[in-house]
Amino acid sequence: MSQVVLEKIVKRYAEVDVVHGIDLTVDSKEFVVLVGPSGCGKSTTLRMIAGLEEISDGTLSIGDRVVNDVAPKDRDVAMVFQNYALYPHLNVAENIAFGLRIRKVDKAEITRSVNEVAEILGLTNYLERKPADLSGGQRQRVAMGRAIVRHPEVFLFDEPLSNLDAQLRTQMRAEIKRLHSRLGVTSIYVTHDQVEAMTLADRIVVMSAGRIEQIGTPMELFMNPVNRFVAGFIGSPPMNQVKATIADGADGSVARISDTVSIPLSRAEGLAAANGQSVIVGIRPEDVLLEASGGEPSVPLDVNLIEPLGSEALIHASVGGEPFVIKTPTHGDISHLNDIKQFHVDVSRVKIFDEKSGSALYQADKAVG
Amino acid sequence: MKNSSRTSSLIQHFKREWQIYLLLAPLVIWFLLFLYKPMYGLQIAFKDFSLFKGVDASPWVGLEHFRTLFDSDMFIRAIKNTFIISFLNLLIGFPTPIILALMFNEIAQGKFRKSLQTIVYLPHFISLVIIAGIVINIFSPSTGVVNLLLQKLGFEPIYFLTQPEWFRPIFIGSGIWQEAGFQSIVYLAAIAGVSPSLYESAVVDGASRWQMMWKITLPCILPTIIIMLIIRIGNLLEVGFELIILLYQPSTFQTADVINTFIYRQGLVGNQYDVAAAAGLFNAVVAFVLVMAANTISRRLTRTSLW
Repeated sequence: MSQVVLEKIVKRYAEVDVVHGIDLTVDSKEFVVLVGPSGCGKSTTLRMIAGLEEISDGTLSIGDRVVNDVAPKDRDVAMVFQNYALYPHLNVAENIAFGLRIRKVDKAEITRSVNEVAEILGLTNYLERKPADLSGGQRQRVAMGRAIVRHPEVFLFDEPLSNLDAQLRTQMRAEIKRLHSRLGVTSIYVTHDQVEAMTLADRIVVMSAGRIEQIGTPMELFMNPVNRFVAGFIGSPPMNQVKATIADGADGSVARISDTVSIPLSRAEGLAAANGQSVIVGIRPEDVLLEASGGEPSVPLDVNLIEPLGSEALIHASVGGEPFVIKTPTHGDISHLNDIKQFHVDVSRVKIFDEKSGSALYQADKAVG
Repeated sequence: MKNSSRTSSLIQHFKREWQIYLLLAPLVIWFLLFLYKPMYGLQIAFKDFSLFKGVDASPWVGLEHFRTLFDSDMFIRAIKNTFIISFLNLLIGFPTPIILALMFNEIAQGKFRKSLQTIVYLPHFISLVIIAGIVINIFSPSTGVVNLLLQKLGFEPIYFLTQPEWFRPIFIGSGIWQEAGFQSIVYLAAIAGVSPSLYESAVVDGASRWQMMWKITLPCILPTIIIMLIIRIGNLLEVGFELIILLYQPSTFQTADVINTFIYRQGLVGNQYDVAAAAGLFNAVVAFVLVMAANTISRRLTRTSLW
């Protein structure tokens, strides 16, 4: 399988750059997810790799070939589209076989390949059906079958699960992961859903406004976001980000949110910030403890709303006048959550970001995960 | 009990949705006045109609007028011409707008495409009388462009519009020239509805533009093509007789006279309203059978139908 290398890739429409010289190396057999909000350039980047968009500047290599000027059909990539892109007039078998027929592959070989792919994807009983007679999940499987059957060097997925309902999306996510483990094809997957990114990726590329914000394993991104954007994008609900000023506390540095509310910092985070510096304190909703287990410092809060999710609940509160969300296990009972007056912080999990640049002031040396 | 509840729910429905029915009313009234009410007059096809006695008082003559029609060589010739012209029109005229639409689809959006589209749409907006005038002028034996060209090439000038063998090509050609562009809009709209991702997927699969046209565009617009074909078959016997009346002359009746021009001459020129009504009824029944047959065949073969 092939490595995909993007070097200083730029996409320009008229005079406007929408992708600003990105560098990315996707290793052979790796599953990389491009994630970011709408309009961040992730789909454009994927389409440039597929050859559906021209590359304005930079170099794109697949395997050991520079493919900037190579036609899509000669790049040996297969793409799965958001809306499946199934031909409505062809049945499942014909849809899967389309690429092979175009390439004038021997008929017996086409039949063998289609049957093999149908077996892998559980479509054997649906081969004679037209796309209109299939469910969303089955259509998505056919779309994947069309990609798999050609045995390409690289799979490209453009938000393939966006049109499915939540339950089916979870199911298909697992199927894609299983399929990747089985086939071991280099895969680049675009999504705006960070849960999809976290669950599928070997590495995630977080993009914003045509730039790469951070590349890393899901846990690296979750534990050590390099800036406020990544911190806010990865994790659900997103990391709480509260304005504060660094000050001296009784046991080291604290981030002072208001005259009465301060959050203690770990030694490492504290050392990274200067006294009096304006910062943003980042605390993940799940890193908050409602009951102290080992003398963790407490922070007062006002509860505004409880959102029960079943095994967990979201507490929407305010801390020093700033909105704050806590995710906590319910153990089957949420009646006590409205009465909470304070929470405790595991100082080792608190992140601080420079208020102006948004960059993390301290990065853990070692990746977690 | 069941009937009264159905009536009350119908009353409720009308009370709730009266605005929609109000909007529908003008069209229904138009249909009743101009398409259904005249059907009452169809009975003169079976009567010895007299203008002075009126429709009701005229005596019944059964199928007398139909016998007269089918004993008339002129009517048989008109049927034959109608079918020949209709068939040629369908064979050449029906695919032309589809081909035009496919060609426009291959030209990138821009001034060139817009100019081309304007040029081919324009004849549709020209009055039929002017179209006929242009055709007569183009094929004029003395000043017509075609004859001037023929003379330049060393041929003798031909008086096209008086020669029976030239009537059908000229009539069908001018009909296509006038309408093909405008008719292509329907197919262009259908092509615009084809998801771009189908083409992108095909590009990645390695399809050429030609393959994409044959394997994606045409199959995707096939339901529209079939609907248009059914409508066209329903109007098969209409053959745009106004243009025929404007172009034909007694010397070309042999190939130009169709059922509708026959009806026109019998009814309005010859005052034989009853015979003309019989011919018109025959025309309508054949058109009805054709459209029903086309719809049924299409539904069975392609799962696409008008109703």
